[in-house]
Amino acid sequence: MSPTTREGGRRAPSRVARLFRSRTTQGFLFTAPLLALFAAFVIYPMAFGVWYALDADSYRALFSDPTFRQTVVNTLWYVGFAVNVKLVLALLLSGILDFQFAWIRVLAALFLIPWAVPALPGILSFRWMLNSQWGIFNHLLGKFGFASVPWLAQHDTALGAVIVFHIWKYLPFWTIIFLAGRRAIPNELYEATAIDGASALQNFRYVTFPLLRNLYLICTLLSMVFTLGDFTVPWLLTGGAPGDSTHVLATLAYRYTFQMGRLEWGLATFAVALPVTLGFIGLLLRWVKI
Amino acid sequence: MLALGVPSFPAADALAADKLVVWWNKGYYPEEDAAMQKIVKEFEATHKAEVDLSFTAQEDLLKKITAALIAHRVPDVAFCFYNDWQVVPKFGWDDQLADVSDVIQALRPRYNEKMLPVAFVLNGKTKKRAYYGVPIEAQTMHIHYWRDLLREVGMEDDPAKVPMKWDDYWNYWKKAQDALRKKDPAKYGKLYGLGMTESTRASDTLYNFEMALLSFNGETVDKDGKVVADQPKNREAIIKTLNWFGELFTSGYVPPDATNWTDGDNNAGFHSHTIVMTPNPSQSIPAAQFFNKDDPDKKNYFDNMATIEWPDGPDGKKARYLSAVKTIIIPKDSKNPRLAKEFIKFVVEKNRFTEYIKAANGRWFPAFTDVAADPFWRTGHKGPKGQKDMHVPVATTIFLDRENKVFEHYKNPAFSQLYDENVWGKAMARIAIDKWSADRAADEAIERMKAIFAGYK
Repeated sequence: MSPTTREGGRRAPSRVARLFRSRTTQGFLFTAPLLALFAAFVIYPMAFGVWYALDADSYRALFSDPTFRQTVVNTLWYVGFAVNVKLVLALLLSGILDFQFAWIRVLAALFLIPWAVPALPGILSFRWMLNSQWGIFNHLLGKFGFASVPWLAQHDTALGAVIVFHIWKYLPFWTIIFLAGRRAIPNELYEATAIDGASALQNFRYVTFPLLRNLYLICTLLSMVFTLGDFTVPWLLTGGAPGDSTHVLATLAYRYTFQMGRLEWGLATFAVALPVTLGFIGLLLRWVKI
Repeated sequence: MLALGVPSFPAADALAADKLVVWWNKGYYPEEDAAMQKIVKEFEATHKAEVDLSFTAQEDLLKKITAALIAHRVPDVAFCFYNDWQVVPKFGWDDQLADVSDVIQALRPRYNEKMLPVAFVLNGKTKKRAYYGVPIEAQTMHIHYWRDLLREVGMEDDPAKVPMKWDDYWNYWKKAQDALRKKDPAKYGKLYGLGMTESTRASDTLYNFEMALLSFNGETVDKDGKVVADQPKNREAIIKTLNWFGELFTSGYVPPDATNWTDGDNNAGFHSHTIVMTPNPSQSIPAAQFFNKDDPDKKNYFDNMATIEWPDGPDGKKARYLSAVKTIIIPKDSKNPRLAKEFIKFVVEKNRFTEYIKAANGRWFPAFTDVAADPFWRTGHKGPKGQKDMHVPVATTIFLDRENKVFEHYKNPAFSQLYDENVWGKAMARIAIDKWSADRAADEAIERMKAIFAGYK
């Protein structure tokens, strides 16, 4: 039957009309603006970045730069150590905040302040506190008869300061996530273990943690992805100093790109981390079964 | 970061033929910006052109210029305090800057010839040198100190009486620290004698290193821009220089945070009286005190502080100086290079430029002899009680009466990267923080320098 055949007095819809009436086409048209934005602001920059990062000379330059090698080690410390310490603490603290006392609510509100405070004033305050001449930490050390420490002027303490600030700043957020996870555990399970005479530790080991395990792993992966790209904390706290020894990949890429005008090196720096990031994302997607 | 790849919107830089986009370094003082705005208004009136002038702080402007050149979406004229060593050698080599040799030729009779080489850089595409920037003003090394602190412990505060022999000079500031701490431990317990920047975050570190290396008679490149840092005489000078910085840092007379300082931190330390002296490659410190609203009688500027020269070298020879000469660039992709060149010539006309540069209060020294002939540069300001200026004339002496040459980054584009990486600052950190020997730190830095230079052939 041709499209123009009359049937029951109604004209059969043309091919174009049918195409527009198709739910697939309508769906595509409705999502087209979003797809266009996605293409312009995600696909194109990604493709541009990958194209730029394919230059083998960039990798030769990176791997011959001693700062880059140190940076990879720092990034591993930052992502591996800071994230895990932060999440273990968050898991434990969420247990404290789960108690149903009025003062706990006040404590929870106070506890959220570091997360709510904008990063910049927080970091600048921390820098002042760590100043070796005038900072409060050295002032207190002096009061107790200890020698002052050049916190930001030596590698270990400077990188340690970055890690500590990261934990201080983001611990409340993950604690609240775990608290929400704890609250979602049915109370009946705890009532049952109470009848069996389980201790608090046994409750945690056999009920809480098994039910939070997936959430914990997802949070770990998410936090690792966020932290791998974190620029603000290391840059504002140490700027890579002393002696370019505290850079992480994000700050080094910035330095290559905007201070040295080497966009290709900056992109290659990120490309080095890309397999790890994609690995995390792949695991994450598999875990949440998307 | 990846958003760099997104094409910018044309409205941001769509330039009409009679419109000029000018990116200018924000001045340290409002008077500088006002002087530039006045020049722009005059230019618009006389040339019937529209000028889109914007001021940006130096660190941000460098990033803005770098991103613009990479993306080929550029202004017509850009003046940043970092152009001379971070833009001109690199982007001249990459063939991204307009050849302004015709502007230089037109202005040549007015130039202080010593300052011109800074913009005469190599183009990697044509393999020829040309002027890829227009030098306008310069800075050199000065040392500032608090006279009132010296007076407080009975030490000579007159610059003419400060010992200028190498060891005596540096020991003088150490002695001041010891005396002040002893006199009033509560007040001066955390004061340091020497505000010597030794950080990879600060360009002051490069200046300090290069000045000290000159004092130790070392060179890193020859006249053709080839690396000679590894030659025995120069390697030895580099080791001595690094060793000197290392000993200075560990001696307890330099603030421990100096390895983490930015360019502004020694200024801040000095203004807050927590260091007795600091080397600084511009007159920004006294200029800031001149405009200090908390000191309306300008006691700090005229009575409490002074500027002094770098000491004689360890061999007893008078100090040799390096100048950093600030340059205006025109990107090759400029939509209106003819008008851009007209604009630059207009800005640097004698009377107009004199007004502009004097608004910086002596922070910069003019690259033009007729502007430098203004009596201001020899006499400076006069104090409210008739006091002599102890800052601006010192800089003029260094520029005009001392052996003075421009930084050598014009010789090889690799210098941009060498300085960007702050290789010498890193070597200082190796000694001060990682406890390396000066030999080992010097060898690592020299190897890095050779590797960087090998990339520009």
